[in-house]
Amino acid sequence: MSDTLTLPRRPRRLPPRLRRNPMAALALGLLLAIALAAIFAPLLTSFDPYETALRQRLQGPGNGHLLGTDSQGRDMLTRLLYGARTTLMIGCAGTAFGALLGGSIGLCAAFYRKLDGVLMRLVDVLLSFPSILFGLSLAAILGPGLDSLILAVGLSVMPGIARISRGAALSVMTQDYIESGRAIGLPDHRLLTRYLLANAYPPILTYTTLAFGDAILLAATLGFLGLGLQPPTAELGGIAAEGRAFLFIAPHVSTAASLLIFAIVLSFNLLGDALRDAGDRRAQ
Amino acid sequence: MSLLHLTHLSKDFRLKGSAFGKPLVLRALDDITLTIHKGETLALVGESGCGKSTLGWIVAGLHKATSGQMQVNGQTAQTGKARARQIQIVFQDPFGSLNPTMTVGALITEPILLHDLAPRAAIPARLDSLLSLVGLRPEIGRRYPHELSGGQRQRVALARALAVEPELIVCDEAVSALDVSVQAQIANLLQEIQAKTGVALLFISHGLSLVRHISHRVAVMYLGRIVEEGPTEQVFASPRHPYTRALIAATLEPLPAASRPRMKLTGEVPSPLAPPSGCTFRTRCPQAQAICATDKPPHDAKPHAVACWRSDDLPAFVPTTLTPPARMLAALQLYRAAAARRATEDTLT
Repeated sequence: MSDTLTLPRRPRRLPPRLRRNPMAALALGLLLAIALAAIFAPLLTSFDPYETALRQRLQGPGNGHLLGTDSQGRDMLTRLLYGARTTLMIGCAGTAFGALLGGSIGLCAAFYRKLDGVLMRLVDVLLSFPSILFGLSLAAILGPGLDSLILAVGLSVMPGIARISRGAALSVMTQDYIESGRAIGLPDHRLLTRYLLANAYPPILTYTTLAFGDAILLAATLGFLGLGLQPPTAELGGIAAEGRAFLFIAPHVSTAASLLIFAIVLSFNLLGDALRDAGDRRAQ
Repeated sequence: MSLLHLTHLSKDFRLKGSAFGKPLVLRALDDITLTIHKGETLALVGESGCGKSTLGWIVAGLHKATSGQMQVNGQTAQTGKARARQIQIVFQDPFGSLNPTMTVGALITEPILLHDLAPRAAIPARLDSLLSLVGLRPEIGRRYPHELSGGQRQRVALARALAVEPELIVCDEAVSALDVSVQAQIANLLQEIQAKTGVALLFISHGLSLVRHISHRVAVMYLGRIVEEGPTEQVFASPRHPYTRALIAATLEPLPAASRPRMKLTGEVPSPLAPPSGCTFRTRCPQAQAICATDKPPHDAKPHAVACWRSDDLPAFVPTTLTPPARMLAALQLYRAAAARRATEDTLT
């Protein structure tokens, strides 16, 4: 067995690695800031995200509204914070669902070789749908709503995670320690968790971080297309879509929402890249 | 008393052939009949790809035989956890056979916990006694496998196998990946442990020098069959199969003045996908005659058994003469004493 194929022997703690990569640290800081701001939104702003004030509609930044107001006169900053809350929640839940399902499928496909063909063809079928189309049809079937949104996001990130998990798990399966676990009589579920997953998880984690960005983008896209949560729910994609009608008289509405989506997705991608680099360095 | 008894055991691997036509069948083991007695060491030798590891894996329950019977203590062999209690295995590559995410202590206590062999309070003491049994200090229990040397790792693998107090340990090339000096240490350790615990060993190896040193009986395999089997002394002193003779002749003795019987095999091992008819060794055998190509040679039922049509007509075997000059012997003795001293020091540190 060549050394290049063996997975990292013992995962190091990540923070010191990330500190050495300033972009990743920046991305992590930005993400944490956005997430904390979204979670503690009610404490940070005194405005109500749903109370309309038509006299103050489409005002530019200033005048007591840090980022201006939208077409219903609602405070943009408040809308964005609550919107980030919804979008991040959909992204988190969707990715968690996708990672759980995809990870299990990938590990099982590698562990039970007889299931490999069936499981991976299933994944291929899902992979062959463009994720937007997939989200559209799911929303059409289940009706727009939080459940169908999370399901659509989860199912569209799942195939990639399943493929990565299978690959990582297959390379671990060639190691003798899997057989050594079998030889002492370990049941399959212990082999799958303490032997297979414990050694195969670094690439899966890296890919899942990258998939997070895609999930957020997909959630926002579906919102933008009107298939996400229905107005007046604050959701970043939906806010960007609302502002589109007033793009020439009040560009700040769409711009602010889009920039926030951009910042979140970019941060996740930078973080994922950094994790991958850290993984590579450990493998050397 | 026989501990393990295999009768007419065969193993086929089905390989994916082309989309059309019948699938390829690789016969890894062909009609193996073999007995291991309680507390003895049986060595299984042969070239790479002759099926010796497959046999070891079947014995350890990691592969299923295609046909034939396997008995442990006179009863049909059990599977799963019950088999794991009776038969354990130590693998060749000590760098790949220990789960890198677990500490040595966790690795060794895992089988004890799994099979519920000791009350929780007694487990640390059991771990220490297992570590000392394989010549490791108790602190090693807190280390991770990647912090250990190859020899230390193989000791850990051995301790993990011993944790369930098995009756048989399959050593699948367990020393082949180690340095020669460490090989000797591990081989000695195996003998010590056998003397202490009475465990039987199935010692799979492709080299003969260690086998001669540690095993009670030897079985020689070629292309999925056992061609010769008998007490170590007899097999080495008067091998009855041309293949065994060639193997012995290929062994290098670490004595410059030793003269060894010259016998070189030509050609390659035939593909097990299309083994030769009759005796599978006939394509490389200097003694082959017409009958070898038509009929499989039967095993004779002697304690020193052979499967060869021509075994009675072979020329007399001239064993390796080990008569180096006296001065060299004296020097060797000094060197060995020094090496032994260093070996014990290494183990202690």
